[in-house]
Amino acid sequence: MTPSVLYHCPCLSTDPAPPPPNTPSSSYRFHPLHELFFCEECDAVRCNRCVSVEVSGYHCPNCLFEVPSASVRAEKNRCARNCFMCPNCRNTLSVVPSDPPDADDGRASVANLSPVGEPPFFLYCNYCRWDSAEVDMTFEKPTGLAAQLQKFEDSAPESLEFERLKEHFEPFLRASSSSSSGLSHANHSHATPVNPITAAASSALARDIPGVGKYTPAPRGRRDKGARDEISEYRSRVEVGGTKDAANVDFMRRLEAVSQVAALGQRWANSWSTTLRASEMKPLRIPLHSKKTKRCPTCRHILIKPEQKAQSVRFKIKLVAANYLPAMTVAFPSSQDSARQRGAGGRQATVEDKSGASGLYAGGTYPFHLALTNPLYDPIQVRLAVQRQIPPPSSSVPSASPEKAPARRPPFAVSLPQSAFPVAAFAEAWEYEDDEDMFGGEEDEIGGLDREHGGPGGKGKTVGVLERRANVTVVGGEVVVGRDAKGPVKFNMLVSYTYRSDDPLAEDDVRATPSRKEKAPEMKTFTFYTVVDLGLVVPRPRTGAE
Amino acid sequence: MMQTPNYYSKAEFIETDTGNKVSRRATISGPQNIILGGKTIISNGAIIRGDLKRAGPGHAVVISLGRYCLVGEGCVMRPPYKTYRGAFNYYPMKIGDFVHIGANTIVEAATIGNHVEIGKNCVIFTIIKDCAKVADNTIIPPNTVVPALTLFAGSPGHFVEDLPESTQEVVEAYTKSYYTRFQPAER
Repeated sequence: MTPSVLYHCPCLSTDPAPPPPNTPSSSYRFHPLHELFFCEECDAVRCNRCVSVEVSGYHCPNCLFEVPSASVRAEKNRCARNCFMCPNCRNTLSVVPSDPPDADDGRASVANLSPVGEPPFFLYCNYCRWDSAEVDMTFEKPTGLAAQLQKFEDSAPESLEFERLKEHFEPFLRASSSSSSGLSHANHSHATPVNPITAAASSALARDIPGVGKYTPAPRGRRDKGARDEISEYRSRVEVGGTKDAANVDFMRRLEAVSQVAALGQRWANSWSTTLRASEMKPLRIPLHSKKTKRCPTCRHILIKPEQKAQSVRFKIKLVAANYLPAMTVAFPSSQDSARQRGAGGRQATVEDKSGASGLYAGGTYPFHLALTNPLYDPIQVRLAVQRQIPPPSSSVPSASPEKAPARRPPFAVSLPQSAFPVAAFAEAWEYEDDEDMFGGEEDEIGGLDREHGGPGGKGKTVGVLERRANVTVVGGEVVVGRDAKGPVKFNMLVSYTYRSDDPLAEDDVRATPSRKEKAPEMKTFTFYTVVDLGLVVPRPRTGAE
Repeated sequence: MMQTPNYYSKAEFIETDTGNKVSRRATISGPQNIILGGKTIISNGAIIRGDLKRAGPGHAVVISLGRYCLVGEGCVMRPPYKTYRGAFNYYPMKIGDFVHIGANTIVEAATIGNHVEIGKNCVIFTIIKDCAKVADNTIIPPNTVVPALTLFAGSPGHFVEDLPESTQEVVEAYTKSYYTRFQPAER
């Protein structure tokens, strides 16, 4: 496994410190940098888990048709053109014509072939060879199949029942939404909107099913109570359970092979409960996908706003953390240095070194390199620190109980440069620099540095700034792995960087933080946590020292 | 510092004026029908069938690859074909910029957009839009479209998840650094 750096997103938590790096549950707090967003207004990192998401447009993932939201509902969130999913393997189906009728001489008559082919048409899966004739589905025309299929879907008893239920609640819903529209708008959170429908539904549930406690929302005034009573009783048309279950039981009794039963994966994408028999599965219209607008959960500013077109990968607004926070990569120098020293002549050596670097041996001392890349147009001063204090869950002293001590205190020690170091500003020009030149220059610099600190023994130079090039600064750190260490070497690292916020180039900042921008030459500091994963400690077969 | 060079033997690759690096051990049929955008790497054992061109005389572009592409070891790239009104024909294949295709993958796609990553051992018979990713060992049969910014995996390939919004930058940086690291051994 290659060493990695993940960034912490506090996800609106009031405690800015990240969870301990090793617990399995803490992984949800750490993300690769390129998956994170940045809210300029709040000056904070946001992740996919904490942003609020709105649909900005629907499209079919197959034909990429952009479906207007008005028809999304009518078409039941599925593609209304000619996109179908195989009920067997979920592959995309294609419409195929029947074989052309043979001419008298036995050859297919190419001349009078219609361009679309001969009816009847089938849906055919070119992956598993399922075809719709198996379920008695053929079409006279190769177009407008979705409408025919939807007609069939809509005639399902569950669908009819749902429609009737909707009709039943419609007037009530309209009445209540007009009176409490302001309230429901404010209530955008993940919490269930407490509206009269929920209340009515829960009271109906409590009445019909004994033992289900009545859901009582926060008291919301007299009007709701009255409205709840107004709603008339709904009588379902479909018998719950009923004959279908008996038929299914019968089917299961006579089962000979497991493949006769439709797997959950095959039934999952259906809107309504369908048959259990694999042989009777119907083709499905492909569910639509959506483009999403993402907002900051606290200030509601837009972080991501996609372009409308389904195929477009551009964004009207895209505030990603990679444009604000320094990008960090971590690596062990050994493999790279030796690769350079031995050149291509020592291919074997490189492989050896790589395998060596992938595992850390207990009791060893390993220098590592952290490369920081500054995305800002201003130079920054960065300070790194290991998060030493893992907040204790209880007040007990770690050393008091020997069993708990190893869990509490990591079995390795990490040294990082103590002082702040600069990372130069990003300049567009470097983007256009010829890649080969950049590469060559970098190689030279590493060479010079190597001479400077003279091999892995030069302990004085392993920790500190090793290299500065363009907007990248490489600093060295060192990890001392304990004698009886095992498991991953992972630690939380606090990164804080300071930059001048009054630079005329940083227009974004000027716009975003008017409150802090009153005094002109101000240094701003931003702090975030990362988790650095250096890899696993491999049990040492022998006691040779590194 | 992370740009550890990935050395190859100089005799093994031909470098063109525009920085394409084509392995001598790759099979390039009909090279006059193939366009490489520049800084594209064709690895050992790759097969590119530029000879499968549309019926009719003269040259026609059969396969075009953009800049900073990688055709992995043992890949087969051949143009798609179709029988339309009884006539069999090959159709041109267009691959955008910053496209990496993993080892031993077979590609018979009409279009592959920009910034696309395709894994190892895949079979692709489809249209792939920009910034999509296909996981290793995926089979995508004809008629499926891989939409922009999605990850497809499985056999047959299914939609797995949406990719992050910054995929374009990530793939671009990765493919560029891959090319930069792909260095001849001095010898």
